[in-house]
Amino acid sequence: MRIKSYLAYPQEGRKEELARSISNVEGCAVIPAKNRDVLIVITDSENQAADDRLRQRLECTESLKWLAMVSGFSGSERQSNV
Amino acid sequence: MKKRLGIICLFTLLFATFIAIWDYSYRKSLEPAYTPLKRRITDRIPLESGVFRRDKHALDYADMAIDEKHRHSIADYYRNRAFPGAPPTIPHPLLDERSMGGKDCLSCHENGGFVPKWNAYAPVTPHPEMINCRQCHVAQKVQTQFRGTNFEKIPAPAIGKGANRASDGRPPVIPHSLQMRENCLACHAGPSAPKEIRTQHPQLVNCMQCHISGQASTTDQKPLRERI
Amino acid sequence: MYRGWTDRRGFIKKMAALSAMTAASAIFPGILFPEAQEWLGTGSEGLDWKKSPCRFCGVGCGLLIGIKGGKAVAVKGDVRSSVNKGLCCVKGYHSIMAMYGKDRLTKALVKRDGAYVETPMADALDLVASQIERTVEAYGKDAVSIYGSGQWTIPDGYVASKLFKGCIGTNNVEANARLCMSTAVTGFLTSFGLDEPMGCYEDIDHADVFVLWGNNMAEMHPVLFSRLLDQRLKRKGVKIIDFATRTTRTSMAADRSILFQPQTDLAVANAICHEIIENNWVNRVFVESHCSFRKGLTQMGYGLEDHYEFKDQSEKIDFKAYKKFLADYTPEKVEKRSGVSAKDIKYMASLYGDPNKKVMSFWCMGMNQHTRGTWIQNLVYNIHLLTGKIASPGNSPFSLTGQPSACGTVREVGTLTHRLPHGLVTNERDRAFAAKIWQVPAKNISPRPTYHTVEMFRALDRGDIRFMWIQVTNPMVTLPKLKRYRNGAQKADRFIVVSDVYPTPTTDVADVILPSAMWIERAGMYGNSERRTQYFEQMVEPPGEAMSDTWQLIEVARRLGFERQFSYEEETHIEEIYAEYRKHHDNDKHNMAPLSVLQSQPGAMWPYVRGKSTKWRYNLKYDPACTNGKDFHFYGKPDGRAVIWQRPYEPAPEVPDEAYPYWLCTGRVLEHWHTGSMTRRIPILHRAMPHAYVELNPADAKRLQIQTGDGVKIRSRRGEITLPAAVNQRGVPAPKQVFVPFFDENSLINELTLDAFDPISKQPDYKKCAVRVEKL
Repeated sequence: MRIKSYLAYPQEGRKEELARSISNVEGCAVIPAKNRDVLIVITDSENQAADDRLRQRLECTESLKWLAMVSGFSGSERQSNV
Repeated sequence: MKKRLGIICLFTLLFATFIAIWDYSYRKSLEPAYTPLKRRITDRIPLESGVFRRDKHALDYADMAIDEKHRHSIADYYRNRAFPGAPPTIPHPLLDERSMGGKDCLSCHENGGFVPKWNAYAPVTPHPEMINCRQCHVAQKVQTQFRGTNFEKIPAPAIGKGANRASDGRPPVIPHSLQMRENCLACHAGPSAPKEIRTQHPQLVNCMQCHISGQASTTDQKPLRERI
Repeated sequence: MYRGWTDRRGFIKKMAALSAMTAASAIFPGILFPEAQEWLGTGSEGLDWKKSPCRFCGVGCGLLIGIKGGKAVAVKGDVRSSVNKGLCCVKGYHSIMAMYGKDRLTKALVKRDGAYVETPMADALDLVASQIERTVEAYGKDAVSIYGSGQWTIPDGYVASKLFKGCIGTNNVEANARLCMSTAVTGFLTSFGLDEPMGCYEDIDHADVFVLWGNNMAEMHPVLFSRLLDQRLKRKGVKIIDFATRTTRTSMAADRSILFQPQTDLAVANAICHEIIENNWVNRVFVESHCSFRKGLTQMGYGLEDHYEFKDQSEKIDFKAYKKFLADYTPEKVEKRSGVSAKDIKYMASLYGDPNKKVMSFWCMGMNQHTRGTWIQNLVYNIHLLTGKIASPGNSPFSLTGQPSACGTVREVGTLTHRLPHGLVTNERDRAFAAKIWQVPAKNISPRPTYHTVEMFRALDRGDIRFMWIQVTNPMVTLPKLKRYRNGAQKADRFIVVSDVYPTPTTDVADVILPSAMWIERAGMYGNSERRTQYFEQMVEPPGEAMSDTWQLIEVARRLGFERQFSYEEETHIEEIYAEYRKHHDNDKHNMAPLSVLQSQPGAMWPYVRGKSTKWRYNLKYDPACTNGKDFHFYGKPDGRAVIWQRPYEPAPEVPDEAYPYWLCTGRVLEHWHTGSMTRRIPILHRAMPHAYVELNPADAKRLQIQTGDGVKIRSRRGEITLPAAVNQRGVPAPKQVFVPFFDENSLINELTLDAFDPISKQPDYKKCAVRVEKL
């Protein structure tokens, strides 16, 4: 089990588009900020390979400017945090 | 002679002023630098400005000892509210039926303090600039009901260990709406704060740096008084 | 999205989300994640917040109502609403509790042998329909009537008008707004030719001076008053002037409180105009290009007798004649009659006259419930017209309303005997226009107005009217000279149907009581004082068999054979009715916003033209209906000019004398709304204001040896009641005056009031009659 959370910064003026496209990706959930141009993305995948694929897919999103990982969990071990 | 004396006096005065200003600015420069943050004004930030807005005569909350005998409890707090978030009713007789808050209510409720007459600390209002107090807060003259009610009061947000946080040790999120209640310290600090929700670190005044709003805040915006 | 994670995976996700949120809020202080609640499962009780205008007064505050488990459980102000910007008053915050009184009417009740019998709703509606048919057959169309309310939603009033005027064919359609706002209507019509204010609440943010004409705004329109106070706090030189007959909270908050003798506001307003002209403060360019001068009939009488009729006839005059007329109104002469010092009159004139000050005038029942109410409104408009301080941001004569949809329903839908949704019943073109939309033959609509409210109840007493359907209002508390009308309603062979949510003195006289769904138990729209139409969806289920007033009317209409005209679907009827109603106002002067707009935002102001609300009417910069090429266009009048009226002072019909030496004024209090049938069932409000009282001036009280709490008997030529005294409490009347609130159904002050009315608007004066005061 790989669970990670990210801060995602959209391209100028494309926050909603970004939120839409990420929430369409399976295993991803989005919590958009209301008053800032930033989204929280939570990814959930079964193993490292799936997680890598998911991350790649996220980074290819056109309306995304920058993706920053905040925390991640792997299996029962917690790997990193801010 | 007189003229010369006048000129000397003038220059002495100017010199003294110079010294005073220089001294003042030197002292100021010793204080830690503070760069005012320029906040982008959008319509959707719950305000923290109220947190800092205190009369200079207000009690120093950080240093206030806990007065065990006169602490309010959270049960008191919710007792005189029709539902969590409702404006509290006035639990004591009024000084004057007709006056406006500036002259009456605020003399105790702006800065708080112990009121011997009611043997209690006056709760502090989070919005002292609104002076038509009885627009929302009314006294309860009788305890009867006209016809009875079936209105059900929903429970208040849980407090205490584990509530409002994802895991222990994390700062709790804010479980209530901030509308009309942007000034955190009004209810969460000082001797009138209900003991269950009184903060142990009132000196860290930027509350929302750690306590984020857990409320669905789409509907919280800047209130009336902060708009032009 | 939130699935109530109890599993480990869910817990870890929650932790991950929270970490990210904490990080984000460290970078962006104050950042908000509205959907966080769903993620974290924390926060305020998981309420579903929905928007609605407030149920009570005409300010039309935006509320957010917290729904949980099918019940309304919390209220907060809607910060997106430009009306109240997040603030409410104590009634608004507790408004939802008005739905949950223990004695809610949940079943139809039919009177049989003196007792009310629970009856299935369908049977009760059958009975109502058959009674209408029977009455029409026996006594004619004009023997059936409907008496509605400024609390009717727009669809309620619309179907009532369509059924009675369009289908049944009688103009016996009136509403309690006749007791409340009809003078405001005639004031607007006589001065400008079109109803409702030219400005909006945003004027408050621009004005420098606020003059309150007999308007205790701190208690009656507290949310707007707080906006005034807020402006005074923020901007330099903002002043509030309280011009009234009684000292109130408003007076305490005002910069200047000026008291006048009842009825003399007419003289003072003329004196202000006199001063404006004397001091050359007249805006000549404005007056010359946008105003005309007229005078009307005087000595109109007071409508105290049955069958009283009056029609004003006006003639054009010139500025010279108007100036000559004002010579009688020098501040010094007016001082003697009004009790207002010449200095104060000059002070008020100087505020209006100062070209660098923007002035707003506010009024409500003080000027509306006035036997010369249309005149006093004309006079206040005169002041604004002479100085050109009108129809531009901050310069605004503003008539406030007391009911949530007095404007939206009664005035805009036109649920008054002489009105149609668009135009007048007397106008053939207007009748044909309405008939076409209503799908009825044009001859169905009678060209003859019948009874205004007071006369309608007189007709019920006389027997000219035999059937009356009363919805959302409580006339057995609010009619003046109550006894006559209560006795009339109880006469044999009168059939009264009352649709309401609680038992009231009005349901006591009913033959059939229909349980209504109130406010957010159904969908609807209200229209507030600033021409703002606001929509609310159905948020909770009505109790028992309670049914919306709209649907009750539709059910009866179908039983009367008007299925074609009332073929709305139950699920979508509000939407269909509103769409149909909009057709009546399809023009640049009154276009209503489409429902989708009302659903997406806290209301929109008509005229809503090309996707935009009109904030200031008659002003070329803001109003697309201005077509004369000038900066202002008063297009309500054929010549495009607003009228400056020559209106004299005339005394009230009943003035204190030796036998009845005190003036009686009636009104509201902050805690209760109108007859209290809703607010008294809200425990917090009842406890704050449990019963009515009589306010006395301290000097009078001392002379009569009366203290607060003592029993006092007050008596007029029409009746008497006993009340506890209140000396130096909420308000202080001037010497030789008393004040009594009317919310208390156990102390009916309207037993004493006089049924005199303004001959132009037919609105009774509840503020002035003569009484005697005795200590018990």
